[in-house]
Amino acid sequence: MINRYKPHLLVLPEDDANRQLANGFLLHPSLSTQVQVLEVAGGWTKVLDCFRSDHVSAMATYPNRTMVLLIDFDGRQVRLEQAKTVIPDNLKDRVFVLGVWTEPEALRAILGSYEKIGRAMAEDCREETAATWGHELLRHNASEMERLRRQVRPILFQ
Amino acid sequence: MVRRLYVHNFRCLENFELPVLGQSSVLLIGNNGSGKTTVGLALEILQKIARGTNRVDDLVKPKDLSRGRIDVPVRFEIEVELEAKIYEYVIAFEFPEGFKELRVLEEKLAVDRKPVYTRNGAQVHLAKAGREQEKEAKFRIDWHMVALPIVQEQSPMDPLFIFKHWLSRMLILRPIPSLIVGDSKQETLEPNLQVTDFGAWFSGLLAYAPAAYAKIDEYLKQVMPDLRDIRNPVIGKDSRSLVVQFSNDHGSLNVPFEDLSDGEKCFMICALVLASNVHYGPLLCFWDEPDNYLALPEVGHFVVALRKAFQSGGQFIATSHNPEAIRRFSDENTLVLHRKSHLEPTIIRPLNELQVSGDLVGALVRGDVEP
Repeated sequence: MINRYKPHLLVLPEDDANRQLANGFLLHPSLSTQVQVLEVAGGWTKVLDCFRSDHVSAMATYPNRTMVLLIDFDGRQVRLEQAKTVIPDNLKDRVFVLGVWTEPEALRAILGSYEKIGRAMAEDCREETAATWGHELLRHNASEMERLRRQVRPILFQ
Repeated sequence: MVRRLYVHNFRCLENFELPVLGQSSVLLIGNNGSGKTTVGLALEILQKIARGTNRVDDLVKPKDLSRGRIDVPVRFEIEVELEAKIYEYVIAFEFPEGFKELRVLEEKLAVDRKPVYTRNGAQVHLAKAGREQEKEAKFRIDWHMVALPIVQEQSPMDPLFIFKHWLSRMLILRPIPSLIVGDSKQETLEPNLQVTDFGAWFSGLLAYAPAAYAKIDEYLKQVMPDLRDIRNPVIGKDSRSLVVQFSNDHGSLNVPFEDLSDGEKCFMICALVLASNVHYGPLLCFWDEPDNYLALPEVGHFVVALRKAFQSGGQFIATSHNPEAIRRFSDENTLVLHRKSHLEPTIIRPLNELQVSGDLVGALVRGDVEP
């Protein structure tokens, strides 16, 4: 069980494919146990609805909580800004929006299984490399990843 | 690592092959009665043979034949890769008309396709071990006895020794925490199915590899941060009893192992699985419903801890009905078992070969996941 009073990360995946990417991330041998993947929301708008209804007040209660909203960008540049509109200003530094430019199925067709990709993503985070995050279907996350690297990496790899 | 497990004419498993090649961890899902636990029972028979049970009637009974089909042999085949060698063990039993017990029809152990011994009925044929001066040997044994526990191994380097040890040390777990008390009179590296010999396993592991305590401690302090240590004092002639000490800023408390909660005992078992795989592995661990007795926030971490540990060696096979446990596996390592009725055999297919739309758990609840 994560300790809510210590820095921890919750991942809210849009769908089953994103859940499996997150599973791969969890399987990185050096990853902290202070990470929890939540139930699939069932669509990117439902991720935002769920965040608003279930997590905004809880994040105020638990100041050591950070969240990743794992959504598909469906090839739309505006998706990040759309997602950020639901994040209250006081939580903006603790919430990150990440995802595949189109959808994870496209990434799987190129890079292999979801768990393998997820593990490689975690390895990039740990090593501060961009072997996987630099892929054309993931590199649009660069600004969020930079924030994540500064703020969340110490939680992920203690 | 298991490359192949084949079972035929055993309960609901007919011409059944478990597709686990190359997978460090696998989840078996399916409705009640679909055959998940029976896969564990098949492994248990092989484990019992390696642990010394050689009387066929103590392994397989006539009632185990699929739908009472007595004219078809019961067959178990396992292929394992150990230290870059492929071990293949085959045993088949028959139930001739008029007999009261099954008997051995065929048995074989081969390493890298070369037989160590073969057997047809009562006749056992031991192959040459490789040295020129050695001769092939033939001898007869009772048809109702399995040869594997009887054939003498030459040394710890002998393939027979290596395979038997691996097979006997498989962890097949279906714990019943209320029966686990933490007392022990002996040591073992081969816990029983219900882990009622937890104390003996703990003692055996630490006697074999004292450094294993570090791994046990590391895991347990993640899940029980106020754990201080585990003690195993002598309480009588040749007998020990586990005591768990917790402490925080306000003081400390000694808790006899038997008084831990069911879930806490499962944490202890998990810690021993992780440490055993490191110190006398690589092991195959088959855990029937590892999520039993655990609180909801613990299930995912518990499953991930086991999956992570077996990535670096060994193999972990779990069964589950728990949504949180199911979500911590992915389509590539989830196998769906299904039976159309009690009169038909188990079908098994990887989840990634099935068309499941939307959330997997939702599809399972609706009964939409069917091979």
